[in-house]
Amino acid sequence: MDIQGVIHFMQNYTYYIGAFGLIFIGLFIMLVKRNLIKVILGLSILETGVNLFLVSVGYISKGTAPIFSNASIEGKSMVDPVPQALVLTAIVIGVAVLALALSLAVRLYQHYGTLDLRQIREQRW
Amino acid sequence: MNDFGLFLNGINPVLFIVVPLGFAFGIPLLGMISKKIVKWVPVFVYSFVLVGALSNIPDVLDKPIIIQIGGFVPPFGINLVAGPVGILFSALIAFAGLMVSIYAVVYIKEGPEVRYHILYLLLLTGAMGVVLTGDIFNLFVFFEILCISSYTLVGYFGNKSGIESAVKYLIQGAIGSSLLLIGIGLLYGLFGTLNMADLARQISSADPVTVFIPMALMITGLGVEAALFPLNAWLPDAHSSAPSSISAILSGIAIEVGLYAVIRILFTIFGISDFIMFFVFLGVLTLLIGEMCAFSQNNIKRMLAYSSIGQIGLMVFAFAIATSHAVAGGLFQMISHTLGKGLLFMAAGYMIIRSGSMKTASFEGMGKRMPLTCVAFTIGAFSIVGLPPFIGFPSKFLIIQSALAKGTVLFTILTGLVLMGTVIEGAYFFRIVQVIYFKKGNGDSERNEAPIAALIPMFLFTAVIIIIGIYPKFVLGILDSAASELLNQIDYIRSVLG
Amino acid sequence: MRSIISIFLLVVIAWGMITVLQEIPFGSSETRVGQRYIDQGREETGAANIVTSVVLNYRGFDTLGEITVLFVAAIGLGAVLSTNRKKKKREIESASLVLYTGCRFLFPLILLFGAYIFIHGHLTPGGGFQGGAIVASAFVLVYLGCRGRRISETGSKAVESLGGLIFIGIGLAGLAVGGRYFLSNFLPKGELNTLFSAGVIPILYIAIGFKVGSELAGVIDHLIEDSE
Repeated sequence: MDIQGVIHFMQNYTYYIGAFGLIFIGLFIMLVKRNLIKVILGLSILETGVNLFLVSVGYISKGTAPIFSNASIEGKSMVDPVPQALVLTAIVIGVAVLALALSLAVRLYQHYGTLDLRQIREQRW
Repeated sequence: MNDFGLFLNGINPVLFIVVPLGFAFGIPLLGMISKKIVKWVPVFVYSFVLVGALSNIPDVLDKPIIIQIGGFVPPFGINLVAGPVGILFSALIAFAGLMVSIYAVVYIKEGPEVRYHILYLLLLTGAMGVVLTGDIFNLFVFFEILCISSYTLVGYFGNKSGIESAVKYLIQGAIGSSLLLIGIGLLYGLFGTLNMADLARQISSADPVTVFIPMALMITGLGVEAALFPLNAWLPDAHSSAPSSISAILSGIAIEVGLYAVIRILFTIFGISDFIMFFVFLGVLTLLIGEMCAFSQNNIKRMLAYSSIGQIGLMVFAFAIATSHAVAGGLFQMISHTLGKGLLFMAAGYMIIRSGSMKTASFEGMGKRMPLTCVAFTIGAFSIVGLPPFIGFPSKFLIIQSALAKGTVLFTILTGLVLMGTVIEGAYFFRIVQVIYFKKGNGDSERNEAPIAALIPMFLFTAVIIIIGIYPKFVLGILDSAASELLNQIDYIRSVLG
Repeated sequence: MRSIISIFLLVVIAWGMITVLQEIPFGSSETRVGQRYIDQGREETGAANIVTSVVLNYRGFDTLGEITVLFVAAIGLGAVLSTNRKKKKREIESASLVLYTGCRFLFPLILLFGAYIFIHGHLTPGGGFQGGAIVASAFVLVYLGCRGRRISETGSKAVESLGGLIFIGIGLAGLAVGGRYFLSNFLPKGELNTLFSAGVIPILYIAIGFKVGSELAGVIDHLIEDSE
């Protein structure tokens, strides 16, 4: 892909770039950082990125929200409702995982007095 | 097709998911009335589900049952596909779930018991949903139920190692689920549908390079739960720190369900019909690494956990060959692993309690102290190794026979490696059996058997292991039609979309 | 070393993404299924908000799974934090009068707003999850402003269970009585864009609203208790 192609890509896919930017930042934090709270933050960023990606998959140019709030609204220019429903589910699942991760972090800190994963090595090969 | 109520000819498979869920939601209310009742709820629920699953077997051998949720025709609504594969797995989940819940009635004595039983029901419900659903996003949702409840149950005792393993498991699992979700999002973007059959129909005419990326993401995401090498770093920790009843379910059900999702996606959605060289090697590698790590362990639960990795490798090897015989062998191996490993973990659970340690050396003289449990353990071990007349023998035999039937030199060499894995497996299991029976224990040698409620499920597992081991024809019928359901993409699409 | 490997991995994934995303042009998605929901959702489910009709009718089974996931998290969080919990009372500095009164004044209003959101889920943006989150935020306000006040654990557990049981009950009613399908919309659909329309959807969303509200409040309660 040449420079022109890259610029064209950037212009047309701003949302995708934002979404995958968040996804990669989140993944990078989770892979590299050794502090559990930072890892959980990375997980949160990763999930936000995935949700943004799902919503932007269903977007239609100049589309409106798929709600017939009065009878005169046409169904032609509405965005796809399915990804929005999926994102609702994905957000709730993300909240559940985050809550559980935080509670485990609380317990881990009670046991070890640290959240540094390098120092938490009860289990070995 | 039009007579869909609570009961079809058998019990409507949607109830396998809904009834356990309903009871799980109701347990907090029941717990306010009486805490004693709560531990019998899973026993009751899974007896019902087991009866239901068995009652559907004659029908699904004929043609798969398609259940529409909410009455919308696929691909516009979510549908359940209870074909031979779905019913086979739901019967297996219900049977193992029933046995382990009987075991847990006496085994789980400390900690937040009411919550244990709720999470146990939900874990199995998640597994049941994954094997029955015909919608890819619905599969993700049930998969998350399975994963999140197992993260919690791994840390159930709340001790140092439990919480640490749960954290590791959660981090790796969460990355896996996110990758899976990205893959699903990409598929939806490409094809505008989430129904598996509809996806399969459209993917066959799509550009293979484009389709490869979502496939790779989904397989990687599911591979974490299915313990494929190198995504299985969490497994030994998690399986060894969980309560033994949960280890039995995690080893026997959770990773199998993960592997089921992988093969369902590969075979049914992406329509891979020829053998997959990458997975053949991955399987053999997983097998050898698992068995070698297991050999070097002196902690019994870690040893069993690593042995599960080895067994998963064997199943991946079988599925990757992708002939109908080999797939049937892989499914058979799943059954025999669930039964064998479930039995081993249950027996080991009480041996650990009685000896007070997970070190294999502390089991010296156990054969005298708890003879029945030790016999169960030995039978489980022999079945996993693949000795006749136990169930492990026909399943391993089927896989090796179908690998040799490929006829190429490469497959002969790979089969040799698989057999070498079996030899290692045999070595460490015989070592344990030798410690149990032929080493004199120091300390008390009084008889101190496991309680009767723990012996009953062990006995039933043993009975099934021996019966199917002697008459493998019992299950071969449903295994063959299950294998053809997995390999026959066109029939699957036709039965769902009409 | 670790970061170099990670960056290499991410570059590989990014390359793959760019390849696929060229096939999914932004702003014009493939919406065969989605378009049908927009065209026929009003007749088939009676809800003006198509997202709601997808969430609760077309993909209602996902939503059942979704409330289950939240339930798992709430129960699991309790299980993780409850083991060996030290019951200790700590002296809590009470809030100033202005803060205290303000919180008590706002609390019912926020509850009312949350209830409005989940009751009107089939007409306006929002629904059970959003409304439930707002309800839970009212409890957060009370925890912050009126220290020492707690929701009753028994009450929140009962609401949680009942919400789930109502969802399952309506689903089973659809299977047994109504359209012979689990979760089918068997009640009369009513007139579009009125409060009493869309059959079972408002009932389901009210059940979800209560369940989500009490679960999230319970989660916060557990975390506060343990960190104090």
